[in-house]
Amino acid sequence: MDDADPHAPQPASRLESLALTVIFTAASGGLLAAIEVATRSNARGGWWTQPWLMPGIALTILVAANLITLWRDVADLRRNPPLPAEWAAARAALLGWARPVEYLGWFAAYLWLIHHAGYGVATLGFVLFLIWRTGLWSVRWALAGVGLCAFMIAVFRMGLGVWMPAPDLYDIFPQAVRTVLIRWF
Amino acid sequence: MEFLWTGLMQLGDPSVALAMVVGAILGVVVGAIPGAGAAVTISILLPTTFAMEPLTGMTLLLGVYCGSAYGSAIPAIMINTPGSPVAVLTALEARPFVLRGEARRAMSLAYSSSFVGGVLAVLALMLLTLPLAKVAKNFGSAEFAMLALAALVLVVIGHTGARVAAAAAMAFGLFLSTVGIETAFSTQRYTFGSPALLGGIPLVPMVIGLFAMSEALVQLTARGAPPAVVQLKGRFFDGFSEVFRYPRTLFGSSAFGILCGIMPGVGEFLAQQVNYVWARKLSPEGHLFGKGAPEGIIVSEATNNSVPPAALIPMLALGIPGEELTAMMLAVFLVHNVVPGPDLFLTRPEFVAGLYWTLLVMNFIIIGFLLLATGLIARAALINKRFLGVAILTLSLIGTYASNYNFTDVGIAMAFALLGFILRSHRWPLTPILLGLVMGPILEGRMRQALGGANGDLTIFVTRPISAIMVAALALLIVMTVRADWKARKEVTT
Repeated sequence: MDDADPHAPQPASRLESLALTVIFTAASGGLLAAIEVATRSNARGGWWTQPWLMPGIALTILVAANLITLWRDVADLRRNPPLPAEWAAARAALLGWARPVEYLGWFAAYLWLIHHAGYGVATLGFVLFLIWRTGLWSVRWALAGVGLCAFMIAVFRMGLGVWMPAPDLYDIFPQAVRTVLIRWF
Repeated sequence: MEFLWTGLMQLGDPSVALAMVVGAILGVVVGAIPGAGAAVTISILLPTTFAMEPLTGMTLLLGVYCGSAYGSAIPAIMINTPGSPVAVLTALEARPFVLRGEARRAMSLAYSSSFVGGVLAVLALMLLTLPLAKVAKNFGSAEFAMLALAALVLVVIGHTGARVAAAAAMAFGLFLSTVGIETAFSTQRYTFGSPALLGGIPLVPMVIGLFAMSEALVQLTARGAPPAVVQLKGRFFDGFSEVFRYPRTLFGSSAFGILCGIMPGVGEFLAQQVNYVWARKLSPEGHLFGKGAPEGIIVSEATNNSVPPAALIPMLALGIPGEELTAMMLAVFLVHNVVPGPDLFLTRPEFVAGLYWTLLVMNFIIIGFLLLATGLIARAALINKRFLGVAILTLSLIGTYASNYNFTDVGIAMAFALLGFILRSHRWPLTPILLGLVMGPILEGRMRQALGGANGDLTIFVTRPISAIMVAALALLIVMTVRADWKARKEVTT
């Protein structure tokens, strides 16, 4: 299938995989255990109409698949116990999960900024900030960032007319300017 | 004939013509950029097409879908970096060509086999969809339920080497499809009292989070220097005539790709891998495969490009999306109240015929664009990964927030982005999650209808002939796959 992505990050360590499988198994097991409460209904039809049926089937397959993965992971670790270097790599890999969380945090800040400074200003700020944050900062990349913003405003706001909320910042402008800013930027 | 003529008239609509050109060019460019690709682009464009006419929106997305299949060959040959998983074999076969100074020959072989595969698949779409829809007119709920089940089973079986993970992902998607208010008795399922979940997990933010934003996170955290571009030497048109020296490989690969496209859950990658192995066995020059064989490139590209149009056959005729991209496109149909299935040919014949023609013309636009601009597109393949990540993440906002102006949707997209990043880093598959989410309601609804009509008697699925054949085929396939997996694992451990 198309998921054998040649650009995927480096393969995870066995211990990192084990940690993830434990989390997934616990979460899916918890959801299955809660099925009675989470699908409670007054349905009076046959068994095939019961609201728990489809989530029950899905969660049973999910728990079973997670348990098989867990069993395989544990068996593999028993056969070939991890060396201290592998433990260190796994700790580093788990800490590496913080990187995407950081970028998602900046993405949330970008949304907040759209409400207060408008799409154009917020997008420019977000793009330039990310360029700096990822270590690309230079005049060339800053200009590329400005070009990207101009492209997005031209295509989505001016071309396709995607609506964005009127930000607080535009209130300081005269009504005519404010209308233009709200419509186009 | 009148049906096809009606469709041809649709090409005169300026918005459709523009969507065709923009979609085709955009598809080629994003296909050539490793890390961008059709899934990321379609997921970002998806909400913007909701404001368009159905044919315009679908044409734009199909342009990206088909164009990217062509474009992925460019980085595979010119920087020896496959733009997508389906270009891995092309990269392998093209490397010796490049070392021999025949990069342009490899490129033209790839383009011409892609073109033949793409055009033949559109012709198959034109010829096979209506007859299949007529057959499907006789289908009842039991048959449709089995078709939906077949798509889910095949998508799991298709993930060779990661079937348990694929089964988990598919089941997770199925579970997600049940969240929200269930229709029969208005029961809340797994909403935990949250009003935001009453409407279920929204498809668009989930798709953007899982496919686009997670890719952006991968690119933002990537490191490494960009590869060098090779110089194009040799004549461009050599490969165009050369490809017809291998008619069996060319037409056989196209036919195999079409067959795999029609089968739900198979997809380009599996079709290509299986066909490559067969072609190597059957070809008199099989020993040259992997060492720069023209047939290797033909197999890879003809198969790869014949799958996308063929994947539309089950979607249009049966309403069953075969893989991730057609599953995304189903959202465009549903937003416009265009319900794919046998009745579509009666209710919207101009739409279906319009799709046929736009797909056919698109292949000519793409090949023309490639002949003119290959050198320029190759530069796009060298775009800095971190800058690409910045662009994808910024573009993702348009889809997640601007489609509903709803912060909950953004939260959902962010959660799926993190999940997608983690799953990608463990090389766990994402496609089955989407197929599970899309096929879940179809499977549940049709199963309820079938069992309701039989008063809960499960034998309804084996007493109707077509359904019984599907059950038997699925059971046989599952048993054979489990047996083969068991034997393979036994051999590894001993």
